[in-house]
Amino acid sequence: MTTIREKGYHHWDGQFKENFRPSWPIMRAGIKLAFQRKKFKPLFAASFIPAFAYAAGIYISERLEDFKSMGSGLEKFLQINPAFFKSYLTLDFTYFMILLLMSVGGAGLIADDFRHKAIQLYFARPLEKKDYLLGKAGVVAFFVGCLTLLPALILFILKLLFSGSFRLLVEYPWLILSIILFSALVMLFFTAFVLLCSSLTNNRNQAIALMFSLYFLSSILSGVLFLIFRSPYALLLSLKVNLDQVAAGFFLVKPSHDLPWYLSFLVLLAFAAFSYFLVRKKVRSVEVIK
Amino acid sequence: MVGEPMSIELDRIHFSYGQVKALNGVSLRIHGGAIGLLGPNGAGKSTLLKIMLGFLAPDQGSGKVLGYDIKSEQKLIRQAVGYMPEDECYIPGLDAVSFTAYLGELSGMPRQEAMKRAHEVLFYVGLGEARYRLVDTYSSGMRQRLKLAQALVHDPKLLFLDEPTSNLDPSGRQEILELIGEIASVRGISVLLSSHILSDIEAICDQVVILNRGEVAASGSLADLKMVNYRLYELKVKGELDGFRRELEAKACRLEETEDKIIKIFTPPDFDSMEIFRAAARHKLQVRQFVPSQTSLEELFARVVGVD
Repeated sequence: MTTIREKGYHHWDGQFKENFRPSWPIMRAGIKLAFQRKKFKPLFAASFIPAFAYAAGIYISERLEDFKSMGSGLEKFLQINPAFFKSYLTLDFTYFMILLLMSVGGAGLIADDFRHKAIQLYFARPLEKKDYLLGKAGVVAFFVGCLTLLPALILFILKLLFSGSFRLLVEYPWLILSIILFSALVMLFFTAFVLLCSSLTNNRNQAIALMFSLYFLSSILSGVLFLIFRSPYALLLSLKVNLDQVAAGFFLVKPSHDLPWYLSFLVLLAFAAFSYFLVRKKVRSVEVIK
Repeated sequence: MVGEPMSIELDRIHFSYGQVKALNGVSLRIHGGAIGLLGPNGAGKSTLLKIMLGFLAPDQGSGKVLGYDIKSEQKLIRQAVGYMPEDECYIPGLDAVSFTAYLGELSGMPRQEAMKRAHEVLFYVGLGEARYRLVDTYSSGMRQRLKLAQALVHDPKLLFLDEPTSNLDPSGRQEILELIGEIASVRGISVLLSSHILSDIEAICDQVVILNRGEVAASGSLADLKMVNYRLYELKVKGELDGFRRELEAKACRLEETEDKIIKIFTPPDFDSMEIFRAAARHKLQVRQFVPSQTSLEELFARVVGVD
């Protein structure tokens, strides 16, 4: 260790920012830390495979004559309509990759701060609990948005470019809004989900286990209850089914299950609200603000 | 100091954790300089620091830190105050310079200036060469210095240091104490140092606040407190001590006998020292040496808090 006072102490003559948003540096640091973690970058890159496949699908759909050799029925399969975007935004693979990415870069967002007692460092600064939570939420929302909203919008633009017309826009003027709103819901859900799991423990491995078990067990449990009671309402327990149902509602597609989509929407909103209150309470217990 | 706001001004602060009363009418007026916050475990030191930082809202009472209200201007307080917590705390995955700059940014500093300043303070606390290392790989002593760096990065006017020398080896402890002493005396930053290591406080602080059971047991300049609270005399005597001890203890004095047979007598401030000679004469003790002595902070603390 070097000796103390290699350089002297000088007072800082700068000015503090006036319209200062502390959540922004928290979000930026969280994103930077996620990218620094081992295996995050290749996982992140691999998460875009479906987006490239769908982009290729859009390209082929506009050049069906050139791709006849690939087989018949291609035309039916590659209809670019709301169902196409719904299927992209509810892909099991994408959700699994979101979970995988968040297990590497998101599980420790709050858990690590608990473990290393960093919460007091944050709250010794001029920031409030909402700034802290907003910053942490921004990290998850950023990555989920990168895998849902961003590619879906690019796919939409690609369709317009490849077709050379605004037919899609004219036929489905609400589609762009559906893409944005459903992506926002997916971002909200996964943000609440990841932060909830991260705040329930001070061990990131436990948070990872919690994330996977909660997500998949909800589907298993709802499936078992469905088999026992033969009631579609049992499927409301499944997080994935709820996302699928809401997507069907948002994209005006026939839902896979005989359930009103708005019930699933309410379940997801209730889950997000419950997570928010629990996370807020967990952070409060450390911050000790009365 | 006339015209400048007090560094700390608290008026009858009460705070309870449920049924447990942590602070019971704490009032303080402190201008600046280096202030030691002393007290046994559970005396309310940490609670008081948390109230001054705005982490806790007092049940009753009011107060200002650097002129900012502790109930309504917590953000301004935290921008002007640097806090070095007692716990070993850091953000894993960051190197020291990113960590320090990040916390500077969270204080409201522009990003580039926070980064520049982070380099400066890391050199200042002796982590210049290790500033690009991950904080996860730091030793306890280095993390202690890092905590000081993050408390200094936004150039606070007042520093709250909670047990700053814990986890340090003797030389590291000495270096940190010198650094804190310099910050307080030369750099013009007021320091409130909470510690249970009395010699640390005695080495740095010119003022002390002693808390006991949630109340201010004593506060003021260290020199004055020693004079006001008690006087100390050292004696060498020949003869039986028991009766002499009983008589003086009945007059609110405290007697201690050292290994080399020196009797230390702590007397109340208004106690007439001639009483010691009279008591010695009554108990047929021969006084062979009588020296008014310097008192230590340890003795003051023991006296005020009422422990041996």
